[in-house]
Amino acid sequence: MTLLSLPSRTDRDLYPALMSPQLNAKYPADHKAFVRIDVSLRIYWHTLFDICPELLELSGPDGMSIFRPFMAWAEEKKLAFDWSYYLWVYVWLRQSPFKERLLADDKYLRSIMAASAARWAILDRGRSRGIVIGCADTADLVIGWKCRNVRLGREIELIEPEEPLPAPSDLFGYFTLPSFELDIFPGWQSLAR
Amino acid sequence: MRLGFNFTLGDTYDMAQRLIAEGHIDYCEFLIDNFFCVDPDELAKAFDCPVGLHIMYSKFLEADRPTLVDFAARLRDYIDALNPIYVSDHILRFSHEGRAFFHLGEIDYAAEYESVRDKVVQWQEIVGQRIHFENYPSIMDGGLEAPAFFERLMKETGAGVLFDASNAVCAHRNCGTPFEAWRNVIAKAQHFHVAGYRQSLIEPFISLDTHAEALAPDTLAFLRNFRSVFDKPGATMTYERDDQIEFDDIVVDLKALRDLFGQPEETRHDLALTA
Repeated sequence: MTLLSLPSRTDRDLYPALMSPQLNAKYPADHKAFVRIDVSLRIYWHTLFDICPELLELSGPDGMSIFRPFMAWAEEKKLAFDWSYYLWVYVWLRQSPFKERLLADDKYLRSIMAASAARWAILDRGRSRGIVIGCADTADLVIGWKCRNVRLGREIELIEPEEPLPAPSDLFGYFTLPSFELDIFPGWQSLAR
Repeated sequence: MRLGFNFTLGDTYDMAQRLIAEGHIDYCEFLIDNFFCVDPDELAKAFDCPVGLHIMYSKFLEADRPTLVDFAARLRDYIDALNPIYVSDHILRFSHEGRAFFHLGEIDYAAEYESVRDKVVQWQEIVGQRIHFENYPSIMDGGLEAPAFFERLMKETGAGVLFDASNAVCAHRNCGTPFEAWRNVIAKAQHFHVAGYRQSLIEPFISLDTHAEALAPDTLAFLRNFRSVFDKPGATMTYERDDQIEFDDIVVDLKALRDLFGQPEETRHDLALTA
């Protein structure tokens, strides 16, 4: 095992690298710290491509032509990697060399909006029951509902409204629902970074 | 030793019912904050057995007090309705400088003891309940300090430890934390977890707490060697499975645990009364 000049006694020593392929590359590949960071990075990878496998059609099977530049961009922008993780991937894709292919088929956007709605329903611990996500690229809405019954999981709905809501001022917007009904439109909130 | 199963979402409801009906488990452990939108009375009627409440996302080391007070108010409704055997939570990091980890981080036990202790005291006070905190499946060498940390934490806060045996096995394999170092923690703990783990995909291999495999031989050996320290009146052990959820495979592991610990002496009713 290579001697390591970077601090690596505790997990905390590695926190900044756990979401950074660039920082991981500074650790020798035969060191436990490298493997621990690799484990963390793989989960960001799988969280993206296991849930949105269509994106691999754009990138190729290892996903790296999307994953590495996106993670570097996310680091620069200090993205929080909250439930909106997937939406930010779309924001990045839209300004990447993949833009034309991305916009040529709305399956990518649908998958990404559904993934973010599901992630909100999984992770949010506030009192809201549901989230509605809208995008300036489509009139469709995606709703994520938290678990409402002991026999059910989270539920994701795609809505094609007869009367479209106004488009969000940013590329994406969202609002949350205090009950298990879509009966309000309080206006769009912008994504937090 | 009572055996339980972790119930995290509705898709394993029928399987959990079958595990109860066939006597493979004696209680269920709800990952309770996944069910915060389900009526507490409905949840109380979900299973005809005692329950434990395991918290995943309180983030009590990172969240502000108003957020924790609101979380605790909702948790309290479930504690009151379900009268759980125990309430448990995690000591770990969910984020760094405002950016979320997808593979959660271990704290620095030496550097952070005082601040974690104070937050444990505050969190128990807000919930109004003794909470049992789970140990981390350490990877880096800071994990050597975990046993002394948890021992001191129990002593100074009155908190319990939800001792995860397979996390201790991972820590042993990854950073050499001796099983013997956990003896006092195990002796004082009443509530336990156990699950499968797997190796990392690249070398040097590390062991990862994945909840997707059968119990490993060294996990069963650890339980066997410390059997008398684990087993005690009121003790519970939750078998966790979050992926590769196959009824027959789970039953094989539960039977191995039954063989190891024997049939529980208390009935389900007795277990509920120990809450």
